[in-house]
Amino acid sequence: MEGATAVGHLLRRAGFGATPGDLDEYRSLGYRKSVQKLLDEIDRPTPADPDGFDPYEPGAIQQLWLDRMRSGQAMLAEKLALFWHGHFANSNAKVQDAQLMWSQYRLFRSHGAGRFRQLVEKVSRDVAMIRFLDGNSNRKGIANENYGRELQELFTLGIGNYTEKDIREIARAFTGFGCRHHDFVYSPEFHDDGEKTVHGQTGEFDGDDVIRIITSLPACHRFIAGKLLRFFSHSNPTDGEIADLAKVLEKTGGDIRSTLFVLFHSPAFLSGAHHRVLIKSPVEFVVSARRATGAAGIPPWCHGALERMGQILFRPPSVKGWTSGTGWLSAAGVVERFKAARRFAQEAAPETADSILDTAFDGSVPQALAQTLAEASGRDRIALALASPEFQLA
Amino acid sequence: MILERREFLKRGLALGSVLALPRFAWAQGARKEPGARTLILLHLNGGNDGLNTVIPHRDRNYRVLRPGLGIDDGRIRKINDQIGLHPALQGFEQLWKQDKLAIINGVGYPNPNYSHFRATEIYYTAEPDKTPDLGWLGRALDARKSNKPLRAMAVAKEKPLSLVSGSPGVVTFTDFKQFRLPDGVDDTAAMYESFKELSGERRELAVRTLEALKVARKIANLSPSGRGMYGRLGNDLRKVVALLRSDLDLEVIQLTFGGFDTHANQGGAHNGLLAQVGNNLRGFQAELDRLGLADRVATFVFSEFGRRATENLSGGTDHGSAYPAFLIGGGVKPGLHGAYPSLEDLDRGNFRYTTDFRSVYAGLLRDFLKIEPKGIVGDHKPMELFA
Repeated sequence: MEGATAVGHLLRRAGFGATPGDLDEYRSLGYRKSVQKLLDEIDRPTPADPDGFDPYEPGAIQQLWLDRMRSGQAMLAEKLALFWHGHFANSNAKVQDAQLMWSQYRLFRSHGAGRFRQLVEKVSRDVAMIRFLDGNSNRKGIANENYGRELQELFTLGIGNYTEKDIREIARAFTGFGCRHHDFVYSPEFHDDGEKTVHGQTGEFDGDDVIRIITSLPACHRFIAGKLLRFFSHSNPTDGEIADLAKVLEKTGGDIRSTLFVLFHSPAFLSGAHHRVLIKSPVEFVVSARRATGAAGIPPWCHGALERMGQILFRPPSVKGWTSGTGWLSAAGVVERFKAARRFAQEAAPETADSILDTAFDGSVPQALAQTLAEASGRDRIALALASPEFQLA
Repeated sequence: MILERREFLKRGLALGSVLALPRFAWAQGARKEPGARTLILLHLNGGNDGLNTVIPHRDRNYRVLRPGLGIDDGRIRKINDQIGLHPALQGFEQLWKQDKLAIINGVGYPNPNYSHFRATEIYYTAEPDKTPDLGWLGRALDARKSNKPLRAMAVAKEKPLSLVSGSPGVVTFTDFKQFRLPDGVDDTAAMYESFKELSGERRELAVRTLEALKVARKIANLSPSGRGMYGRLGNDLRKVVALLRSDLDLEVIQLTFGGFDTHANQGGAHNGLLAQVGNNLRGFQAELDRLGLADRVATFVFSEFGRRATENLSGGTDHGSAYPAFLIGGGVKPGLHGAYPSLEDLDRGNFRYTTDFRSVYAGLLRDFLKIEPKGIVGDHKPMELFA
């Protein structure tokens, strides 16, 4: 891929697609500088919560995050936050406190591109996470193994890379990590300060020692490399591609930003074979449609549509996160996308009818769609473009 | 513990018959009539008070535990000299007399959890010992590979964890109207038709989307149907009837009926809830009989936990553990299954389970859905719940 195709590809993967306005800007920057811009924007401070924002309201936190994704300010930081939300998949169905979910989002947003080890240290102290995986009931002598298990299975190593004994020992190491109201508390009286053996190392470990040990294992680098590739690039990375990216994580001390830099410049990412191969999640579809039609914000009706498509922010269906790929193409999901496409077209800026083919298809309409789109005009053309198969693919 | 002679006899018979059957009938390949059977799951949300639902009326401890909330002896619908049903369960009494009701006593699991969320998670995943990722029915559907675009539905806004799997074949809905396709969908579909000629992800996307559209068109044309059902539960069951009448060949349908978290002033509320459950399921079963579907549908009625044996000081009951579940259908082995838990030997005020819920699931999987249960619920011995 090169030229406008590569830039469009980058904006869909490292962000939520183009708006008619910023397409020219990114194209004139060119590919390398566009990557740099997206990476640099990560350092922009997380915007302050607006006046009147009620973080206790689950609808309000979803709305504000969707609006930020839509805005295109720090698009990659928001995309990365979405990645980590699906990775450390906590749900407000259990946490039952939207404000805690919102501070977890702020953690992903501000530390998502840093060192993975540091992110895990912070997540391990995050109150939503502690509530979600029962940190408060993990005490000396009555260890609760939930966090010890998921930390390895889903967050750092992947299944098959740890033993049941590692789980038990890690649970012991994390005893004392708990929360009171909205604050992390460390309670020495609940901590088991005895000797533990974790992945072959022995010592009087606590939670941070465990994180140091497991985040430096080769299995952890491979696990995170594989997940980044599947989310940002293609769903079936080869062992070689995973090993190459794992090497970057190893060499940079788990630096996510450097790893993404390498990923976005890798031959595999830019290979024509990986152009439009990821099926957009409902959130990606809604935000990208709204951006492509040059419309401000995310309208409230999208909350119900997203629910029916199967993706509610802050409520992933399980700790394993959301489905992906064709998993999104249920009868309800497809119908809802088509209905939303028409509604987005009705709400689009009128001049979008001229620009939609450029923003939605990087300026080159696929042969198979050319005739249908050419015969349609005005809002019908916009609706067709957004409902088209090509637009469902990132 | 009360041992039911009838149950004892049945178990003996069942053991004999299972030995006579060829082993692992399910292992012989996909079932012969795809979609021939549909399992309905009804979750009584909030924790149903089992002790006042299936009442051990001869046990003196009942009056001790329930001085205020106990049901007057004369009003209990006695089904034998030990066990009776709540007066509001006229519908269940009739199903019992028609040999269509199985009562499964003492359903639970070791170290019960008393949080609605976590206990629901446990029943939805059959994984009491870890934070689960996929539902037990999701795993069951995955275990039986199928290319059908639609395999299970839930009448719900959010997909219940029980049905979470990697596949798109599970659809949640609240209203058939939500599947109505927008204007211009034919032009949209034409684009997907032309993408079918392409390769890789584009082709896969097109094929799956067109299948989903076809299913959506079918569902959009349905409307709730059937007599003898009313209220919110009745409306949901009428949607289930419409789905069963269609040619969608669903393997599983789940629905939820809430309000059972009766911490205070339980009497009237519980009465109303049980009346709705009993009457609606009777109506539902009668409708299935009329349609000739009774033998291919079974309805499992469960809760995330039962309630505390002793009533509280607010005229209600607090979160408990083991409870009676129900299985209804033309093909079920009617009667009492499992022993009623002791009313004396309690575990911190709660009933000790006598039937592990995973044995119930194993029975539903092996004998009704015809899916090998071992990979889904482990080594729990399947309960013989079908005739």
